[in-house]
Amino acid sequence: MAGGSPPAPWGWAVVGGAFLQSGLVFGGLRALGLCLGALGGSFGGGAGAVAWVGSAAIAALQLGGPLASSLSTRFGARPVVMAGGFLTGLGFLLGAFATHLAHLYLSVGLLAGLGWALVFTPSLGTVGRYFPARRALATGLAMSGASVSGLALGPLVPLLLDTYGWRGALLLMAAVSFNLLVAGALLRPLDAPNESPGPARGRRGLRRLLRHGPFLRYALAFVLVDAGYYVPYVHGPARAHEVGCDERRAGLVMAATALADGSGRVVAGWLAARPAAPLLRHLFGWSALTGLALLLLPLGTSFGGLLALALAYGFCAGAVVPLQFTGVAEVVGAGRLLHAIGLMQMFESFGSLLGAPLAGWLRDLTGDFTASFLAAGAFLLAGSLLILTLPGFFRTSRGDGGKGGGHGLAPGEAPPVSPSTL
Amino acid sequence: MPARCSGSCPRRLLLLCLFLSLPGGSPADLAVTPQDANQTHKNSLTRMPTGLKSSPEPMTTTQTVNRQTWGGSISDHLTVGPDASTPGPDLTTLEFKQDTKSNTSHGSYEKHEVVLSGDSGHAVVKNITLDRAVRIELTCKLDDKYSSLKVIQVTWKKGNETIGHINKTENSWSIQLTISDNSKLGSYNCTVKGEKEFSVVFHLQVPKIDVKDKPVITYEGDIAVLVCKSLNSTPISWTWYMTNGSEQIAINDSLLLDKYVIDKVFPNVTQLKILKLTSKDDGVYWCEAAFELGKSKGKMKLKVLSLMVPLKPFLAIVAEVVVLVAVIFLFELYSKRREKCTEIEKEFDQTEQLKSEESNGVENSSTRHRKV
Repeated sequence: MAGGSPPAPWGWAVVGGAFLQSGLVFGGLRALGLCLGALGGSFGGGAGAVAWVGSAAIAALQLGGPLASSLSTRFGARPVVMAGGFLTGLGFLLGAFATHLAHLYLSVGLLAGLGWALVFTPSLGTVGRYFPARRALATGLAMSGASVSGLALGPLVPLLLDTYGWRGALLLMAAVSFNLLVAGALLRPLDAPNESPGPARGRRGLRRLLRHGPFLRYALAFVLVDAGYYVPYVHGPARAHEVGCDERRAGLVMAATALADGSGRVVAGWLAARPAAPLLRHLFGWSALTGLALLLLPLGTSFGGLLALALAYGFCAGAVVPLQFTGVAEVVGAGRLLHAIGLMQMFESFGSLLGAPLAGWLRDLTGDFTASFLAAGAFLLAGSLLILTLPGFFRTSRGDGGKGGGHGLAPGEAPPVSPSTL
Repeated sequence: MPARCSGSCPRRLLLLCLFLSLPGGSPADLAVTPQDANQTHKNSLTRMPTGLKSSPEPMTTTQTVNRQTWGGSISDHLTVGPDASTPGPDLTTLEFKQDTKSNTSHGSYEKHEVVLSGDSGHAVVKNITLDRAVRIELTCKLDDKYSSLKVIQVTWKKGNETIGHINKTENSWSIQLTISDNSKLGSYNCTVKGEKEFSVVFHLQVPKIDVKDKPVITYEGDIAVLVCKSLNSTPISWTWYMTNGSEQIAINDSLLLDKYVIDKVFPNVTQLKILKLTSKDDGVYWCEAAFELGKSKGKMKLKVLSLMVPLKPFLAIVAEVVVLVAVIFLFELYSKRREKCTEIEKEFDQTEQLKSEESNGVENSSTRHRKV
């Protein structure tokens, strides 16, 4: 068949499942943060000790990426995602009965985090497989789930906490997280004939990826991007207070940013999924714009100004999301998409671990967030510039796996059939 | 990578978490961090152990500092007289000269002044929090723009009692008081009557207690922690009360060691831990702080729930999950079976076609190619 094969009709159900999963993973993480805040000294540890529970979850989520890719390559995405969903629910359930801080680290921290890792990467990989064409759009739609859940859980979790306390809230979040099993069930394995046969399996594939120059540059680009990306989200409310917004207005700014983010994901995915769209250039464009928006962010010194700039930032930042994941396929080929995503996640964690603390430190040093936002914007722009160096950037190949063709394919690996310009 | 998520980023959480203990980093949505950044006691005296620190509040202008929607603009001026033990540097403000009366047998000396510069309308209110005995001077002063105003009468009152000794300067009137016990606290009213009438009320109070107004929710068998904080002042002692019916019973933690534990986390923070919760512990609790000049109370509500309460919605949601997963798998089985049936039918049709084409001869070979 010429061009991309149309997605199997079940593909939209898969997108739905991925949307659900995206909402539950990030929603769950957010809810966890809120529940931890409500612990209120029940276990004696200060705010710092409790915070490490969240850090444990995130660490498990990030570092579990490669593990998830390997497992799902071996067993298929569906069992892995469903197992992950079960683990997450179990983690929350055990956490509800914790009598000691250590219980929380292990249950809600490690177990739930591991579950999320097992859910996230394979879901994205499956979406990628069902949509060899229009991959960016499908990914954007799927990832917008996170924005929606962000908006919905904002008021919902505090309500749960007020009604049931933190234990009850964790218990109910366990039940909600079990819906990840539903998301997983929707990921029907695809016996697609146009799949590149024998993608590198297991550890060999991962190791080969590590030597793949363009992939490393891509991953590095996103390490830089991540260093700047989260700063407005993490420090947004504090910045809003800095310019004089009260609690309600700060919440409004964050909610509006979440909305813009969600729309950005869908719109960018749709734009990049058009047949002739050069994906990497779109990616470069959006991430550069995000960097610019960050650089301009300090100019927002009133509620209105901050809101407008935050909306611009949110939209561009959201746009980067689906393109980041579909861009991987451009660089390493659709066959190794899964492994690459997992590995990339792991690398990115260094960027994000660096970014927001650095911003906080700069703020403490200079007295306000201007320097922090400027630094974050600089990181983003640096990452965008790295994207320029990727082999596929200046090539306008059309209709064949040209981009993936000459680069990094192991002998015996067929080039991906899907057109590189999705 | 869980990266690109908007309001709900794992990283964000991580960073948030990392920042919970650092100043300035408390995003409102992920973590709930109590932000103690508010200074509600701009007007209160900040105790200076040694030396003097000038109050951070603007002391230099009469222009509006507090964005308060009163008839006038008010500037608060607070100066602290040197302590008996520390004859420190003088603070001078544009408004008035520092009073250098040092040693007093009562300890520190406070001055509070309100400048009236707005239209007469509502009475102006100033709250002053005192946690120990002081000598205090309250002044109401007319803004310079009214310097030509004819003033007929100025009265200082506490309740209905008029205070005699008013010190008058060019356009300010002040009284000096020694606040030594609870009876001296209250509302002091300064009324300036002339072509225009102005009124100021100074409320002298004990410090308030800061408590969470939302009920604390716990479960049977769990541990409850109730926290009371006194803002900016350290009380002499704390007492906890439990409400039994309409009575308030003091909680003595030395008597019931395995049930109640009272901790002093910080000098101005007290914590009541209730162990082995039962439904009987449900109710209203009071924490009372005793200051030199009086007592102050805070109210907290404790709710003890049974595990059955959240269990019902939990089971409902789990049931929903099971049903949905079953439906999805059954649907898949069903559609696979249908596919197989149609495949078999198709094969059957094709073989039929082939048979008929063979019998029709070679002319139909092209058709065959197309159909296969």
